[in-house]
Amino acid sequence: MRFHLKMSSTKYLVMRNYRHHQIVFLFVAGFAFLAPASNAQQIIVDSSLLDRIATLEKEVADKKHGDDHFMVAGLATFGFVANNTTIAGNSTKSNSFPDADHFEFSPLLLWRHGNKFLLEFEPSFDGSSLGVNWADVSWFAAPGFIVRAGYLVLPFGTYSKRLAAGWIDKLPTDPTGVADVPPTTDFGVEIEGGLPLGNMKWSYDVAISNGLQLMPDGQMQSAGFSDNNKNKTITARLALLPLSNSSLEIGVSGMFGHVGDEGSSFESSKTDMYALDLNYVKLFNPILLNIKGQYNYIHVNDQQYLNPADSSSYSFDNTTKTGFAQISLRPTGVSSKWVKNLEVAFRYGNYTTPHSSLWGEKTDVTEFGLLYWLSWRTVFKLGYTASKSASSTIGLEGVKTVSNSFFAQFAIQL
Amino acid sequence: MKKISLGYIITIIWSLLVVAIFSTFPTGCKVSQKVAAKTGAQLWAENCQRCHNTPSPSSFSHEQWETIGLHMQSRALLTDAERDKIVDFLKQ
Repeated sequence: MRFHLKMSSTKYLVMRNYRHHQIVFLFVAGFAFLAPASNAQQIIVDSSLLDRIATLEKEVADKKHGDDHFMVAGLATFGFVANNTTIAGNSTKSNSFPDADHFEFSPLLLWRHGNKFLLEFEPSFDGSSLGVNWADVSWFAAPGFIVRAGYLVLPFGTYSKRLAAGWIDKLPTDPTGVADVPPTTDFGVEIEGGLPLGNMKWSYDVAISNGLQLMPDGQMQSAGFSDNNKNKTITARLALLPLSNSSLEIGVSGMFGHVGDEGSSFESSKTDMYALDLNYVKLFNPILLNIKGQYNYIHVNDQQYLNPADSSSYSFDNTTKTGFAQISLRPTGVSSKWVKNLEVAFRYGNYTTPHSSLWGEKTDVTEFGLLYWLSWRTVFKLGYTASKSASSTIGLEGVKTVSNSFFAQFAIQL
Repeated sequence: MKKISLGYIITIIWSLLVVAIFSTFPTGCKVSQKVAAKTGAQLWAENCQRCHNTPSPSSFSHEQWETIGLHMQSRALLTDAERDKIVDFLKQ
């Protein structure tokens, strides 16, 4: 029994070795047979890949971008306003779709020439006319030194240059008087830059432009393409960001120049204007606090004006003061996507034009806004504006006007 | 008593700002280590929201961010280092 087992075991081992050799032989033979075919396939695949890579390289070369780049951005604002105005006790109601004073479609054309030059052109359609917000060329000459020329937004305060766009402004309207008094777009040359200052940061912005033109009633408008006198107006802003996280910015601006037409009775007239601006944005989790404000002081030296009603000569202290303070809160730190896209805003504005002029008035404006952000650059706003004003014009002092408006507005950056 | 106009007050504030800035010139215009160590993401969060919401990097292509970087530098008066870091972050 034991012998039988031994013989069987020997036979089993011989048989197993034989099968093992058979498998090795078949594997080697198979490999020898298949290897040339596999190599051929490899060559075919490599060739196909090389062709594909060559095609892609050609496509990339065809689409290779040069140093220049052109793009279109811009903004659009559209909405509805319902208004109730009471003047000296007489009320009128109106509603408009879109809100006539706040419709804007402004494509922004940006053309970059390498990394040193940028052309900016922003035409704007406001519902009644096609104008130009700015058209200029900037040269990024050195770190902290940018030179710009063309049709510029002057560095007087920050609202016109940074905050006026519908998708940036937290409320449906511009702060009364701040956006367009004085006119802040002009033809000229500008130098500007932002520079580090240890933990702080500072910036400067200086422009020389044609300047403003004093009108017969004492108001001012932009002199436009052709200067109305030989004098040039200097506008400058100096700002400091004292905190290392750039959350606080304080700016001081000034604008100085002659404003009278050459050879006219206003030839000696000149203006000195100042603006203070403040910006504070900080996350106090979960609330993002946003405070903004600007105060403009506009003065023209004493002049004799002509009253068109009776051709009499008169004078007044031609000083205009306007400003706003704004706060907005957004719960960006909450988990609810719906809630974190909400924002509430409040703004108070005051606009006081010269007493005893033909356009004297004191206006207080209170505004509330509720915003819902559809994306970082797309917003739907609901706003309520209450405005109270009292006239202080020659012969018409104390006439009160009360105006209440409801706004629904959509704004997008394109 | 002579009335002090707002213009004089603002001129004084302006002068103080100028003095404050220029008095730091021995070390001024040099960035501190703390600020120099800031990442593009940090600068993006701090600077963009000074005026508007922080933009999504996916909003524009790499080339568009280069162009927008120049445009925004001149609007917000960013330093060159801030612009470069923010644009690099937005291109990722």
